[in-house]
Amino acid sequence: MMANLRPLGLERAWLLIFLLPTLFGLALGAFGSIFATLSISFMDWDLLTPPVAAGFSNYVGLPDDRLFNQAFWNTLAFAGLYVPLTVVISLFVALGLNRKLPGTTFFRIAFFLPTVSSPTAVGLLWTWIYAQDNGVLNEAITALGGDPVRWLSRDVALYSVVIANVWGAIGGGMIIFLAGLQSIPRDFYEVADLDGAKPWQRLWFITLPALAPSMFFQTVLTTINAFQAFDYIYILTRTGNGNSNMPTLVFSIYRSGFRFFRMGDAAAQAVVLTAIILVLTFVYFRLQKKWGATA
Amino acid sequence: MKLVTTTGLALLMAVGAAGSAFAQTEITFSLWGSPQEGEVWQEIASAFEAEHPDIAVNVEVADWDGYWEKLRVQVAGGTPPDVFAMDAPLYPDWQSRGVLLNLQPYLDADPEMLDGIYPTTLEAYKTDEGMFGLPRDFQTIVLFYNKDMFDAAGVEYPTSEWTWQDFRDAAAELTIDKDGDGTTDQWGAWAEVYDMEPLWGPVVWSHGGEIVDPEAGETLIDSPEAMEGFEFIRSVWLDDKSMPTSEQLSQYGWDGLLSGVAAMGFSGHWSVPEYSQAGLNLGVVPMPEGPAGRKTMVNSAGFVVSASTPNPDAAWEFVKYATSEAGQTELAKIGLAIPIRESVTSSDAYLGQEADIDHQVFVDALEYANVKPSFKGYEEWSGAVGDALSLAWSEGVPLEDALAEAVDYGNDALAANR
Repeated sequence: MMANLRPLGLERAWLLIFLLPTLFGLALGAFGSIFATLSISFMDWDLLTPPVAAGFSNYVGLPDDRLFNQAFWNTLAFAGLYVPLTVVISLFVALGLNRKLPGTTFFRIAFFLPTVSSPTAVGLLWTWIYAQDNGVLNEAITALGGDPVRWLSRDVALYSVVIANVWGAIGGGMIIFLAGLQSIPRDFYEVADLDGAKPWQRLWFITLPALAPSMFFQTVLTTINAFQAFDYIYILTRTGNGNSNMPTLVFSIYRSGFRFFRMGDAAAQAVVLTAIILVLTFVYFRLQKKWGATA
Repeated sequence: MKLVTTTGLALLMAVGAAGSAFAQTEITFSLWGSPQEGEVWQEIASAFEAEHPDIAVNVEVADWDGYWEKLRVQVAGGTPPDVFAMDAPLYPDWQSRGVLLNLQPYLDADPEMLDGIYPTTLEAYKTDEGMFGLPRDFQTIVLFYNKDMFDAAGVEYPTSEWTWQDFRDAAAELTIDKDGDGTTDQWGAWAEVYDMEPLWGPVVWSHGGEIVDPEAGETLIDSPEAMEGFEFIRSVWLDDKSMPTSEQLSQYGWDGLLSGVAAMGFSGHWSVPEYSQAGLNLGVVPMPEGPAGRKTMVNSAGFVVSASTPNPDAAWEFVKYATSEAGQTELAKIGLAIPIRESVTSSDAYLGQEADIDHQVFVDALEYANVKPSFKGYEEWSGAVGDALSLAWSEGVPLEDALAEAVDYGNDALAANR
């Protein structure tokens, strides 16, 4: 059956011709921009005058670039909190909603809603929640007799932003885990029941190992998202003049290139960002192989 | 039949050629602003076209952020607008990169055209090689106050004799918790402190401090005099709590006067149309006086011509018209900015604007105004300093530390743009 579907002779040529526009777009769009970013990172270019070769100077200069450093550590701290929280919480939400009870559909929709909502609108909603005097959170805190917190001030903004972002990401993670949960054969659980396994044993020895591929996938995805996070963070922490209380790497790249006339530095930052994501993904792959062997 | 077609074609071509002999030179003028500003500029362009039937002007308007992004891409892509708007502090960044046309030859051929323009507004556009831009309008910062809030609190209106201490006292009196729930509902003042222009620049100057020496690559806001200025703002803000924190303010909007939660604010003439449309009962007085005198900041928006325009003469004619008395009189109607010609600021077109406010105060401010610093790398420097300075407005950080950090960041940015 499958053999019949393989293209033969002329069909191959037609296949190629029909795929050409897409392949062309991919080559130009994806590989073209990767190549362009790489080459620009080895040049000094202010967009307006012709680029000049700069060797590794853009990379060498990065550790001394205060704005880049600030953005780098902000992003790392953000990812360090955001990734584990998102993966763990969405896993528990999925476990909780993976049963046939009245109301589960409602909760699934409720958790998924942020994923399909406009980040700008949701970001503004969080601005209202975190507002200093009339904010929902501070009104609750003062009603209970506490002191209002400046949620979006420089010291606290990291945590406020992590909370908002995790909330926005639970829905996506939940879907992945629900799909993973539903693909676990029921027989495993039946056998376990016959053996007299307790609920926590079923979770620990069947569900979690079977979910390893989903967890791996979700962790990689969340990590990439963490390093590319921008919209909620910007909306929540922007200051006058279009800057931010908590600049992230993506913001720094945009700002260096398009506002400060430093395309070369921006490209170098983008390459560093890509390298971080690549290294982390590689580590995850390694871990998965190790895990995969035991699961 | 074939013959007929050929003749017809030849005829068509002849008509086409004749048509192009009368064709107009088309130029594009880009600016940032609201759609309404775009409409007024369209009118100015139409008036210009009536005088110059051989030139057609396309006006393109975009919001501030979009404007600069688009402009960079257009210039980098080799399709810049012929004439475009420039903000004086950013002018060196563009001028030094060779993308602007040197207007000096035109000015030399027409020396009287600068007569009657306020000399201060020309300063920012001068370079060793000549002027690569001309001012379009200018902005000075003054003190706005809400008369109704002063009346309700029984506080006397600000005067042109006010010192910063008078301002501080009044601001404290006007900071009120109206419903007694423990949180402030009305503040004495609000200020935009990210940019130096509305408040901290004038305060530093009026305490005897300096802001930046771009030639030497030095940020100077950590001198004892400048620090005294910052200390003053902190005392109003953190000790008296007479100004809302940025988070408090963002609950109401971004402009405390406009949102009706602050009794005083610092701004330029650009705020007047918006304030008057909001129905606020406002007055304006000069900036308060500090230990080193009275100081404010003046900044100008201008016109520049692309170095690669195919129609430099037509572009120059448009710039010349827009800076002329006729063009500036039209511009005064927008009500946002102050015209650069004394003959227009003293005319009814400027002084008799619809908004009921003393428009003369803005013009008189030129007498005690310093020009907003302008140098290559301004945008990066102001971003770096503004970011670091935000520490100065929070209680946990000693002022010296915040300023030291701002100076470090600022000097890095200056070094990166030498």
